[in-house]
Parts: sequence; C-alpha cells; structure tokens
Amino acid sequence: MNKLALDPITTEIIQSSLQAACDEMFVAMRKTAMSSIIYEVLDFGTAVTDAKGNIAASGAGIPAFIAMCDKAVQAVIKKYDDSEIYEGDVFATNDPYNGGVTHLNDVIVVMPVFSDGKKIAWTANIAHWPDLGGMAPGGISADATEIFQEGLQLPVIKMINAGKPIQSVIDIITANSRVPQYTLGDMWAAIASIRVGEKRIKDIANKYGRDIFTESVKLFMDYGEHSSLDALTKLPHGTFHGEDLLDDGRKIQVDVTINEKEFIVDLRNNPEQDAGPNNASYDGTVVSAQMAFKGITSSNFVCNAGTFRPLKVICDEGSMFNPVRPAAQGIYYETDIRSYDLIWKTISHLNPDKSSAGSFASICGTFMGGQHPDTGATFIIIEPQVGGWGASSVNDGCNANFSAFHGDTFNTPAEISEARHGVYVDQMRLTDEDGGEGKYRGGKGIVMDYRVRSKNAWVSVAYTRSKSLPWALDGGNEGGSNYIEVIRKNGKKEKYSVVTGLALEPEDVVRIHTGNGGGCGKPEDRDKRLIEEDLLNEYITPLQAEKYYKFKTKN
Amino acid sequence: MFRVATDVGGTFTDLVYFEIDAKSGKALSIKTAKSDTTPSSYEKGVFDTINKANVNIEKSIFFAHGTTVVINSITERKGVRTGLITTLGFRDSIEIARGDRPDFFNLRYQKPKPFVSRYLRSEVPGRIDFLGKELTPLDLSNLDSIIDHFKKNNVKSVAVCLIHAYANSSHEIKVVDHIKKIWPEIDVVASHEITREWREYERTNTTALCAYVKPIARNYLDKLNTKLIESNFSGNPYVMQSNGGIDTFESTKNIPLTMIESGPTSGVLGAAELGKLINEKNIITLDVGGTTAKCSLIENGNVKINTNYWIEKNRQSAGYPVMLPVVDIVEIGNGGGSIAWVDDYNKLHVGPQSAGADPGPVSYGKGGKSITTTDANLITNRINQKFFCGGEIQADMNAVNKSIELISSKLKFNNSETARGIIRIANNNMINALKLVSVNKGYDPREFTLVAFGGGGGMHATSLAKELNVPKVIIPVNSSVFSAWGMLMSDLRRDYILTKLTTMNDEAVDVLNKTFLEMEKQAIDSFSLENISKDLISFKRFGSFRYLGQDHSVEILIDNGNIDKNSIQKIISDFHNQYEKEFTYKLESQVDMIQFHLVAFAKIDKPDLQERKKTGRTVDKTIKENRMVDFDEMGIHDSKIYDFDLLEPDMEFSGPAIVEDPSTTVVIFPDQKCKVDNYANLHISILGDQNE
Repeated sequence: MNKLALDPITTEIIQSSLQAACDEMFVAMRKTAMSSIIYEVLDFGTAVTDAKGNIAASGAGIPAFIAMCDKAVQAVIKKYDDSEIYEGDVFATNDPYNGGVTHLNDVIVVMPVFSDGKKIAWTANIAHWPDLGGMAPGGISADATEIFQEGLQLPVIKMINAGKPIQSVIDIITANSRVPQYTLGDMWAAIASIRVGEKRIKDIANKYGRDIFTESVKLFMDYGEHSSLDALTKLPHGTFHGEDLLDDGRKIQVDVTINEKEFIVDLRNNPEQDAGPNNASYDGTVVSAQMAFKGITSSNFVCNAGTFRPLKVICDEGSMFNPVRPAAQGIYYETDIRSYDLIWKTISHLNPDKSSAGSFASICGTFMGGQHPDTGATFIIIEPQVGGWGASSVNDGCNANFSAFHGDTFNTPAEISEARHGVYVDQMRLTDEDGGEGKYRGGKGIVMDYRVRSKNAWVSVAYTRSKSLPWALDGGNEGGSNYIEVIRKNGKKEKYSVVTGLALEPEDVVRIHTGNGGGCGKPEDRDKRLIEEDLLNEYITPLQAEKYYKFKTKN
Repeated sequence: MFRVATDVGGTFTDLVYFEIDAKSGKALSIKTAKSDTTPSSYEKGVFDTINKANVNIEKSIFFAHGTTVVINSITERKGVRTGLITTLGFRDSIEIARGDRPDFFNLRYQKPKPFVSRYLRSEVPGRIDFLGKELTPLDLSNLDSIIDHFKKNNVKSVAVCLIHAYANSSHEIKVVDHIKKIWPEIDVVASHEITREWREYERTNTTALCAYVKPIARNYLDKLNTKLIESNFSGNPYVMQSNGGIDTFESTKNIPLTMIESGPTSGVLGAAELGKLINEKNIITLDVGGTTAKCSLIENGNVKINTNYWIEKNRQSAGYPVMLPVVDIVEIGNGGGSIAWVDDYNKLHVGPQSAGADPGPVSYGKGGKSITTTDANLITNRINQKFFCGGEIQADMNAVNKSIELISSKLKFNNSETARGIIRIANNNMINALKLVSVNKGYDPREFTLVAFGGGGGMHATSLAKELNVPKVIIPVNSSVFSAWGMLMSDLRRDYILTKLTTMNDEAVDVLNKTFLEMEKQAIDSFSLENISKDLISFKRFGSFRYLGQDHSVEILIDNGNIDKNSIQKIISDFHNQYEKEFTYKLESQVDMIQFHLVAFAKIDKPDLQERKKTGRTVDKTIKENRMVDFDEMGIHDSKIYDFDLLEPDMEFSGPAIVEDPSTTVVIFPDQKCKVDNYANLHISILGDQNE
C-alpha cells in the first residue's frame, strides 16, 4: 500500500498519536514505579521530542514537568556524536547544570527513535527517584552547600548500549542508593516507559513514512506557536513590574515585557545564589516562566516547543535563579515556585478571566524516615502537601489542593501511609486558622498529624510562604502560613518551616499546617448568605465572622 | 414461555425477549420493542414496552432489568440528603479528596463538590489499625446527638465509613447497629458492606454515593417489583450489575450503587456469552452508540474488572471515585452523533460534543447544522441514503451537503475528501481507545477477535481491525440490541474484595486457604438467604499481586481447591509472567498479595439458542441492490448490498460489500471476506498489512 500523502487529516492523526504515545508512557511508569512519590504523587513526566530535542508532546502529572525533558535530550545531542548513538541506547542525566534542570533526585532517561536507520525522535522520562545518596536520606538537605553533598551525579551518561545494559553503570547507581531496590525498580520502570514510547513512535513513522512524520511534528510546533502569538495580541502590551518578599525578608522582582511577538521575563537584579540549596538552575527558571506564560495565554493542553517560541527569560549568572556550579540545588522547587509565583502575581491581572489571588504556593516538601516498627525496613516518606488556593473575583479559592506546580498529583491515603510507613495519621482536616478573608475567601489549608511509632525517626521540611504570606486581591486579606509543629511526647511544642534531620521519638507528633489562599475583595462585601453557610459548615468560626466580616451570630 | 430483558436508556427503553419452547427449552424467536423512557417513573416505560411487544408477563420465567436510575440520580444531583459518620479526624477526607487538579493551567480550578456538606459530616472516636487491631475502643457517647442533628436537618440516609474498616469492620457494625436501634426507619450503609479495599477517600465517597441513591433505588425497584407481581409474574426478577453479572432485587436494594454502570456492561457481558457459544475466548469489544464508543477486553472468557472507577472525571475535573467492581471499559466521546469541527488553525476534529438525539445529525432533517460521523458515512454511501434508519427517515442530503461545505471550504477539500477525513479521525480516536484496553496492557490484538455492536459498531469495526491487525471481526445478529441480549444470557454474579497484605512465602498457604474459604462461605450464606441452592454456585478466585513496595498490582487467576506450597510457587511465577507481559521487565524482588477477589456465580437456567434455518436460498438472493461505496484509500467501488435478515448459515461473500438491516450497517472492504455462522452472526476476516 502506498504511504499516505501529507494532508491535514494525516497530520492531525499523527499529532494525536504523539499525545497518545506520551500518555501511554505515563501510564506504564505510573503502574510499575516502586516509589509512592512516583505512582501516587506523580512526580514524573514523559515526553517525545523531535530529532533535535524540541518538545513535540508530553504526558505529565505535573505541569512543571511538561517542558523539562527536552533539555536533557539537547544535552545528549551536544555531548555525543551521531556515530556514538545507536538504536536501543538509553542515556541519563540528573545534573541540573547539564540538561537535568531540577535536582539530583530527578533523573531523566532518554532514548533515540530510529526509522529506516535514521534518527527521527527521542522519548524521555523524568522522575523523582527516592534516594541517590547524598548527605541526607532522600538526598535533599537544607544544610547542603555544594551539589556534591546532594547525591550521585549522572552527567549525561549512557546506561544502555544498543539494548544492552552497561552493568557497571547500574552497579554504581545501586551502590549509591540507600534504598537500592526502590531505585532499581524506578529505574526499570522509567526505561520500560521510554521503550513503550519508542515502539509507538516507530510504528507511526513506519506507517506514514519518515518524512510525513517529521513534517507533521514540525507543523504541530507551528500550531503551538500560532496559538501563543494569537494570545499575545489579545494581552495588554508594555512592561510590568512585580515584587515579592522571601521568608527571610529579601526582595525578589521581575519585569515582564509583552508585545505582539515576544513575552520577555527579566529576572535580573535578584538575590545572589544561595549558600545553601535554595537555588534553581536557569533551565528550571525557564520552566517556571513557561508555566506562567502558558497560564496567562491559554489553558488548553497543546503544549510543545512552538508554544514557547515567543518566550525569553533573562537572568544574571550567579543569582538564585541561575546559579553557577557547585551551588547546591536540592530545594530548587521552592525557588522555582517563588519565581513562578512572582511572575504570576505580576501578570495575572492582565487577563481578567484568569486572575486570582495568591495561593499557599509552596511545595511543602515533607521528608520523614525511620524504621518500620512492624517490619524493621527503612522507610522514607517524601511528599508535597495540599493547601489553600487564592480566591478570584467570581469564586472562593479551592480548598486543600496541591500547588500550581502539581497537576494530577495525588496525596497518600492515611490508610496506605500507616501500612507502608508505620506511622499513625491521627487527623487530616481543613484548618481553622485565619487568613484569606474577603468578598471571596481563599481556599482552606490543612492540618495533618503524623504520630511516630519507631525509634531513630527524623523529619526534614523546607516550606516557603511561612512568613511572607499569599497575596490578596482588591482589598482581601492575605492568606495563611505554611509550617510544621513538632509536639513532643511530653506535650512540648516546637515550630519550624525549615529543618533538616530533626530527631523524633516514638509518640512525637509532626503536625503539618498549610495556609489558606489569599482573599479577593473586601471582607465586608461578602454576601451574608455565604457567611451564614460558612458558619454552618464551620469553614469560619463565630469569632472570625465577627472579627473579619463584622457578622454577629445570634446566640 | 418468555424470557424478558428490559434496558432503560437515556432516550429509549428497550425490550428484548425470547419465546421459549416449553418442551425443548429452545429459544424459538427473539423479538425486540422500543418505547420512550419515562423519567418521572421509569417503571411505566418498562411496562409500555412490555405491552407494546405483547409479552405475556404471567408466562415469563425470567425478567432481567438494566437501569440508569442510579447514575441519573447522581449526575442530576437528585439523590437524598445524606449524613456521613467518619473516624475522629477524618470528616474532611471526602472534601480534601486527593488534592489533584487535572486542569493543569487553570488557576481558578474548583474541586468537585462533595455529596455530603460539611455540617452533615460527624466524627466518632475509636481506632483500628491497618492489621485490624483495635487501638482505641469505639466511643458511641456522641452518636445520639449526631443522630438528633441529622434528624433535625432532614437527613434521609446515612453513610458510615471508618478508618481501616476493610481490615476490621467491628466498629462500623456497632455504629450501624446503634443507628438502626434508635432510628429504625433510616437507610444506613457502611463501607464494609460495599467493599473491603483500602484508601479512605475512595471508600468514603463510594459509601456516601451509595447512601445518597439508596432510598431512590430501593423505591424504584420496589415499585417495579410490585407492578410485576400485579401482572402475575412469578419468576425471579434480576438487575444488571456493573460487574458484568445480574443480581436479585433484594441484594441490589442493599447496595444499589452496584447498578451504576448497569447499561454499558451488559454489552461486554453479551460478547463474553456470545464467545462461549461460538468458541471465541479472546475478544475485544466495541460498542459504538450515538455519543460514545466503549471498548473492553475479554481474555480467555474472563471479563476484566476494575475497582478504580471514577465518574465525571475528565481533563477539567478530578471527578468522584466509585470503589466497586466495574467492568473495565474505556469510553470516549466518539459515536454516530459526534460533531466534526474545525478549530481556529484549520485543524479538523471529531467529538467529543454530540448532536444527541435532538436535533441529531444534519441528515435527520430536524434542524441540526453540525456535521456528524453519521452524516459522513452517508456521504461516502456506506450508510444507505434511501434506507436511512430502516427507511423511517428520509436522509436530508441537501442539508448535509450544505453543512459539510462549510468544513470543506476551510480545509480546501471537496466534500468527499472531508467526509473521508471525518471518518478517519473518528476511527483514529477509536483506535486510541482500543489500544488502551489491548496493546497498552500488553495484549497482542492479533490474538483477539473484535466483536462490534451498537448502532455504529459494524460501520467502523472493519477498518479499525485492519489498523490494529485484528484478524477477525464478528458482527452479532441483532447487534443494535446486543446489550439487552447479554442480560438474557447472564448468570448471577457477586464480587467480594478484601485488602489483606500477605507476603508470598510458605506461610501464605494458610492465609490464602483460610481467607478464600471464609469468602466462599460468605457468598454461600448470602445466596442461601435468597434460597439459591449451593450446587448452583461456582467460584473464581483472583489475587492482586505486586512487587514489594509497589502500589499498582496485577490480578492473577488462582485455581480453586486447596492451596499448597506448590500452588504458591505457581502463583508467583504466573505473576512474574503476567507482569513482564504488561510492563516489559520483571524483578527478583519479594512478591506481595494485597487483595483477595472472589467471584461467586449462581447459575441461571438459560435457553439453547435457535440456529438460523437454512432454506436453501442462494447468497445472490440476499442482495438488495448495488451501489457505489467510498472505501477511502481503497477506492470507490460498485458494491453489493446484502440484507442481513436474509443471510443464512455458511453463506460466504467478499467485499466490497455492505450488509444492512434496519438498524445496522456493516462495511466490508474489498480485501475482506465474510462468512455467516449458524446463528447468522457475521465473521469477517481481515487481511490487513502483512508487515509483521
């Protein structure tokens, strides 16, 4: 049968098959991963790029991972000559300075896709592996000052050669993990996922022909670019300045310039790189800008290299948004969400249909570990937390959802957490704390208790938006604070937003608090019926009703 | 004698019945009737069809019923006001849900609203751990005031879901007993009655949904039952369940949520039963209706069951979980009424919006302006323009040509090219769905037969099969009422699921034996309450297994009978093999069983199906006419049009051809051959690309 000619129908079918391939890769990873951070939290993403490493389509649980894998593919292309790349190869990088984008725990594996002997695409997978060594279990320590302390670096290496695993590389990875069986399980899951993608892409290319495949991918990117440019013409043009404070009181700032062809995010003149791990690579900062850009331009799901062609990001080298080696980057995600939140705060009002007040806007990465009291096995909890989202001019904010960096991320059920980790979850409820009052109020944060059962347990957290609170809109109140309390067996309470390896004893309780989102509009303008409903449902207390809404309850 | 199945759909209520020869027990004839669904009291529509078809209900020995009453009450939010009782510290679980936000770039995302408002969610102290051990005794001291609060607020149904109740239900039982004692008239549902699987949000939401619909479903089944009794029906009435079996009214009234996917599953069940009859064990099913296409996979005669089922889940909303065994169906917004449209960048799309029944496709001439897949099939002459909907409707081809022109001009196509494009894109959407149930799960379509039914199944199946390398397509006789037919061929089925972490080593022998025997006893007890004899009952055992530390598990069939050390080794090796099949690798790691799954069947007397008579008619005599049909890349051909109703066993013919009856069109491509089996089902062999 003749190969079909290039026509809009064939193009459309190839493009939707690309998306289907990414989704299939995503499902394969989710089902086979060993670590709950992958299969529940969905801290991973999959992608297909063109032969040059431009993102063509992606499947992701986390929007922040949508446009991440391309940088790794580009790093492989830069490092290896074509003659060194064979069908069946698998490469890996976790180096944030070299295609790895985030931190050492996020490992990207990529493989080339060949059709008739010619490279036509790449499939890629990024996922949070539970432990690759480093000074603290789980790799992430607020005390790290150099990337060397954060684990094993995989600087764009080959791990499978023409289908044959390079055992010595796998041995090095195994030897450097505190939980090797999990790490290996996750590694094979990642490889299975990109192999599934490779097979699908190859089928598509074989069916329609290599040139038609390549041309369809190119047209898909042009489509992404057109829809972005269209959105830019509808936004107000000019330069917009925004500022925010970090929890330590330092100022961060941005200038966003929008015209018909470009969207320029200028993050110069920001704090120097952190002595600790609160840095995000330039590539990571670009991803933050991409998310904000996508959020303001269009919320449809077409998202490829073309979509981001109009976007430019400028950072000073040596700043927290573009550090130089060997700065630590373990807590990159709190730095990324700060730049993202800053950009969103600066531009959100430009599109009245999309604007909203600030959210709890922290990953609230929570790490706990110890020995399972029933099995004796080492456990590590690695999880983000849900919190309150900002209100808008039409709605209260959403209660208890993961941050904007997450998407199809799922929390860990208490029943599973207790079985797997040998802790007790004594409560998981919406918070009663103040914050976010307004004509529309911010969504509510949560309170969750982990009661420790085992000896030698520990907790680490690095939350932001603990002191510098979620911003409000149009006269609403700021949102609430993210922090933890450690309630010792004797009743003594300690409070932290950043702590590393804090020792815990049996019966100690780690109480996680996440903040309410910011409010929108003045509290006194809130509809009385909504206040009564809030009181009935105990979303606010009578005291809060009186204090913030001047609403007196009858009894 | 009659055996009757009725299926209440969104628009129509269908009836299918067999007339049974009392002496031979053979089915003499199968007949169908249709009338409008009557939403204010569905049982009226059911009896309208019975009357219309002249079914003598007194002489009926079997009555099976599929209904949308549960799913409609939920999607229209017409359930009753429900109160929820949870463990201390967890009343917000149903609201916090899982914290996910599928609509990635929408910063104004709103979670789906819980079915129970916060003020109607109350907590009781008392705690069980994951092994079922009591940590803190249950404290019922505030339960009376909770009940008062519920009464005061007009609560009509109560859900109880406590932490780790799957491992130990004693606290839930005590709470329910207390409520029943002091408030006997209220409906109560506890989570352990529905499922004994872990994950508190999913279980809580499922329990709340069940309570929410329980009084409504109970009233409905009672009313229907009363009407049946008034009509002197003396057999047992049954309800189609989401797990691919039927069950009694009594059992269904307790846990009515099991009817949630009553409709779509009966088609899959029908395919499995048809497979038994004609010896096809591996089947992919395709059901193409007006607004959606649904597919599922049957392996070795077993319908696949999934308990990770969600309603109203899509890219804009997290939806609501239903933790019940539901036949694993992938459904996409792509049916005969799906609308073709061109976006701002001149890309052609089909669906998920549908023209519905009103106005319907442009060709209906009821004012529809949007071109649908059905219209495209008319333009290509695959559907008979002169025999549209069995001749009941005059296809309005002028309107079709006018409407499609708008799309063609944007795409710079002629209308034929556009019509082919629409069909190709619709097919591609369905291909992706079919892949989700097959290749994505490690099944090779070449080892399966595609059974296609519903209004549009036969129209698309042959090109889909070609693309997927499926070697054979079967179009069942009466394919448009195939779902209701499935109900007539079904056994009683109850699923029992229990989360119980068990490491697979020698010690597992006792745990497995004991647990399966207990579950079997539970099933026998529950059937015996309804006077169903023990010797009619049979079991299938399944276990869900995973590597240590993993979450998602793979279900493996476990042999009946005593389990010993060798059977444990066999289970482990079956797991490794199945795992590798699905995921391309296997591990040396420890294997854990996390879930026990027992399926209990109670056999129902079924008729032997009558084969279609051979009259000696030649195949030429079944040809209605010839017409030019557009087979896309295979060209436009003068094709023979066969009358489905006249075909007889062993007839054979080749494409290019179309087989028609008033509600079905089957497209047979030039390189395909069709053979008629003894029951008049069509078996179409697909050559496809011989590239592998």
